[in-house]
Amino acid sequence: MQAADTPQRSYETPVPSGMNAAGLRRDARLERLKLFGLSSPALLLVLVILVIPVGWLFYVSFIGANGQFSLENYERMITRKSYARIFVTTFQVSLLTTGLCILIGYPLAYFLSQLPSRLASLCLITVLLPFWTSLLVRTYAWLVLLQKRGLVNDWGISLGLWEEPIKMVHNMTGTLIGMVHIMLPFLILPLYSTMKSINRDYMNAAANLGASPRRAFWNVFFPLSTPGLFAGSLMVFILCLGFFVTPAVLGGGRVIMVSMQIVSNIELFVNWGAASALGVVLLVLTMAILWIASRFLRLDQIAGGGH
Amino acid sequence: MWQAAGPATGKEKDRVLSTANTQALPISVSHVTKTYGAVHALDDVSLEIESGEFLTLLGPSGSGKTTLLMVLAGFTRPDHGSLKFGDREVIRTPPHLRDVGMTFQSYALFPHMSVAGNVGYPLRLRNVPKAEIAERVAGALETVQLGGFGERRIDQLSGGQRQRVAVARAIVFEPRILLMDEPLSALDKKLRDQMQIELRSLHEKLGMTTVYVTHDQREALTMSDRIAVVNHGRIMQLATPRDLYEKPANRFVADFIGDSTFLPVTRRGQQIVFEDQPLNHAAPAPEAPSLLLMARPERIHLLTGTPQERMNTFEAVAQQVIYQGDSYLLNAQLHNGEIMSLRGAVRQGTVDGLPSEGDRIRLGLAPEDTVIIDGRES
Amino acid sequence: MKRLTILTVAAGLLATTALAQEKRVTIASWGGSYQEAQSKALFQPAAANTGIEVKEESYGGMSDVRLQVSSGQVTLDIVASGSGSAARAAAEGLLEELDYSIIDVSDFYPGLYTDHCVGGDVFSTVYAWNTETYGADGPQSWADFWDVEKFPGSRAYRGTVAGALEPALMADGVAPEDVYDVLGSEEGIERALNKIRELRPHIAVFWTSGAQHAQLMKDGEVDMTTGWNGRFDNAAKDGAQVAYSFNQALLDYDCFAIPKGAPNKDTAMAFLAEISKPEYQDDLPTYITYGPTNKAAYETGVIDAEVAAGLPSSPENAALQLPVSLAWYAEWETTAAEMYQEMLTE
Ligand SMILES: Nc1ncnc2c1ncn2[C@@H]1O[C@H](COP(=O)(O)OP(=O)(O)O)[C@@H](O)[C@H]1O
Ligand SMILES: [Mg+2]
Repeated sequence: MQAADTPQRSYETPVPSGMNAAGLRRDARLERLKLFGLSSPALLLVLVILVIPVGWLFYVSFIGANGQFSLENYERMITRKSYARIFVTTFQVSLLTTGLCILIGYPLAYFLSQLPSRLASLCLITVLLPFWTSLLVRTYAWLVLLQKRGLVNDWGISLGLWEEPIKMVHNMTGTLIGMVHIMLPFLILPLYSTMKSINRDYMNAAANLGASPRRAFWNVFFPLSTPGLFAGSLMVFILCLGFFVTPAVLGGGRVIMVSMQIVSNIELFVNWGAASALGVVLLVLTMAILWIASRFLRLDQIAGGGH
Repeated sequence: MWQAAGPATGKEKDRVLSTANTQALPISVSHVTKTYGAVHALDDVSLEIESGEFLTLLGPSGSGKTTLLMVLAGFTRPDHGSLKFGDREVIRTPPHLRDVGMTFQSYALFPHMSVAGNVGYPLRLRNVPKAEIAERVAGALETVQLGGFGERRIDQLSGGQRQRVAVARAIVFEPRILLMDEPLSALDKKLRDQMQIELRSLHEKLGMTTVYVTHDQREALTMSDRIAVVNHGRIMQLATPRDLYEKPANRFVADFIGDSTFLPVTRRGQQIVFEDQPLNHAAPAPEAPSLLLMARPERIHLLTGTPQERMNTFEAVAQQVIYQGDSYLLNAQLHNGEIMSLRGAVRQGTVDGLPSEGDRIRLGLAPEDTVIIDGRES
Repeated sequence: MKRLTILTVAAGLLATTALAQEKRVTIASWGGSYQEAQSKALFQPAAANTGIEVKEESYGGMSDVRLQVSSGQVTLDIVASGSGSAARAAAEGLLEELDYSIIDVSDFYPGLYTDHCVGGDVFSTVYAWNTETYGADGPQSWADFWDVEKFPGSRAYRGTVAGALEPALMADGVAPEDVYDVLGSEEGIERALNKIRELRPHIAVFWTSGAQHAQLMKDGEVDMTTGWNGRFDNAAKDGAQVAYSFNQALLDYDCFAIPKGAPNKDTAMAFLAEISKPEYQDDLPTYITYGPTNKAAYETGVIDAEVAAGLPSSPENAALQLPVSLAWYAEWETTAAEMYQEMLTE
């Protein structure tokens, strides 16, 4: 950036004929071109894998059953109450998952960030372990553990903790358990790295100024960790919005999210538009959330820009 | 006078902090040891710091200065030892109850708070009323010459300004003890010189017991009432700047502070001799198995005529002359092969007229400047 | 000289491609134990006898066919499908018309083949129960399935509309032969949905696949479920405590179709003719308790009386059941599915 700025200014200088000025200007221009040239394959790739499919999705969502331009795919979402309810469920599940991930992940990340580095990386591997096994396997593992005659109920009953099998799966509870398990690393990773980068001097300074550990945490550590918390939560939330496997397997058909409805619409309707419109609405809502969040994030960066 | 915080309320009952500061406190460190594996960061350190004193811990990097300061602040738990602020034993007191001010090498200003937020933070913790906080923050910023900077964000400040904010934050709650860890090491020389004077006059104004850490000997000599020279976790010497320079306790201190030439000397009966040449020296020589003559370059004379009475003289062969702006350095080889350096003022912008390489010269050292020290490393 | 060589090579290439086209078909089915049974009873023996090379794949249903046909990149020659979705795909124009001068359906049960899809097996949507919970005296009708007083316990029910409305109406007292008449209006569909709403507090799981409902019974997760009879037999073989009844069950069939523009259409037609013969169909019950669509398969002597009595399409069992109406599904499935979704999300 800086490098590109400086020669640019030289265009405006009143002495354009200084020693080697023309040659230096050319060098600067070449350098910028080279930069653009180097990044152009990436730009092209973004165009191909992002812009074109999304554009196609928008286009198809406006094609009705008869192959003509039509708003019927969007009208259906308004007239049929089930769509609104599915979106509500989707956001509800995503919010709850994000909230639970924060409740569990924040203390965990904090704990990890306070450990000596070598021990911390060992523990981090354990946290990341879920990444290495298939999503489907992990989800079915929960099914086996949590079902009526599953391991958890068996143990709970045989230990006398509860008498009747508790319904922990084929409902919202099971869905949330499975999703939190899968999403936790996405929260912990950015959070951990933010926490790790918080200079210990800050906490020492707070203590030195008279803050008890609890106050030092809330006044200093927590605010400084919010960028990581925001980034992680946002990542979890947005990933949740498009989740399919876990709610499908652990929700018992009673937790229906947008992605699942997209699949049934593909099977149910003759045209792709019905499913595409759902995708478009989800995309637009997600973008809106990202936009709102980015304003928060920017504010935060201004406040926390010193480190 | 500022009021002490009221009686502790439920939530804060674990913490009774005073905001009143009527006098400074003496610090007594005894037999403090801290090891990290095989490293003795602090090796049985004992130190009495007087009330209101400006004491500097001076030593090379890794010598244990920060560790000692961290023990004083309560961030590092020593293996054993005792630490008293006044009459109060504080070795097991957690840092937030020690009531000492501190500036960190990294400044540790909270990036999410404004300048006023930072400086007011210790007062907020002490439940000082809002209006009073504003008043005292303004006062503290005025003291460090940052009046009107309260609303600035930390990242809008220069290094020197940050340093001042850190100082303001450390003194605003009027602690009786102030700890400073290399506060000026990140500043450029001009600013450092200026800040040295400011910090010193601040100390004179506020009068709190100050423990100051630096690895810069000039800074230490300029600012301190007393200096503790630290090496390998031990205190080599604790003395006033003048004594430290004039009467270093051992070779390490002499070497670390100022430039010097060391010549091996021996005790022969009552006399101290260098190469069979008896030396006149003003101060008595220490009792030690090995002795050294310490000669400061600026105290050595280039003799032309007859030397003063009792002045020790050394025959030598001139080597190169090094021009250093305000002074020159002349190296001369004694006949036993040792090099003696002599520093002289540059006058009329020239070093002409000085001996050129290979000239036979005579060097003189007054008895007052002929310092015999313990030759052991420590 | 040179030109001649090129011509010969080109001709040779053409010939081999033509030959390969004649001798190869790609078949897609649902995978799992179902496709395994099809493969062992139908595809492999037929391939051995005709010399047609068979490539098997599993697929996601008619939406895959729609994608292939609409993009003009058809790779599948034969697909196995539920009768209902095949009918809808045919209406959309996704399937080739079958040539019944090549495929001999003279011994087929009536109604188990259409212009675009020829029946491959007959199955039933039944109610199944846990024999540990209810003993041998399980529910004997859909009314019993709904009766949570007499049969307390948790239920599982289908998560999509196919085969989900008819039981509800029968439980509500509609005679089997009137079910599709009642369902021929939104009010009728609503009536069925209301009946399901009534049972909803006891429905623990809305299942979405055959593997799932079999597993639910095997694990004892629910006490009663709807589902496909063959899956329960296989689960019972694996030791699950499960029994089912054909009374008031829905008689349905799976069929084979050729996607529009299939690369080896003619070979596919010949292959369908082959696997529709009784000598292949009579092997299917050996691997899964789904009945043949070709009546003649019962006369080859391969299916013994005991096995025959357990098949959905055996005369005694068939008489107890309500045959699924393809006409109703073609007209109403989309509407009904949306209304079903409405009920599910409440
Ligand atoms: N947390 C620690 N773990 C291990 N060794 C340490 C730690 N802190 C300090 N040390 C070691 O203790 C010695 C003194 O360090 P320190 O007090 O920081 O020196 P100084 O401040 O004089 O540069 C050094 O050898 C340093 O490596
Ligand atoms: Mg240090």
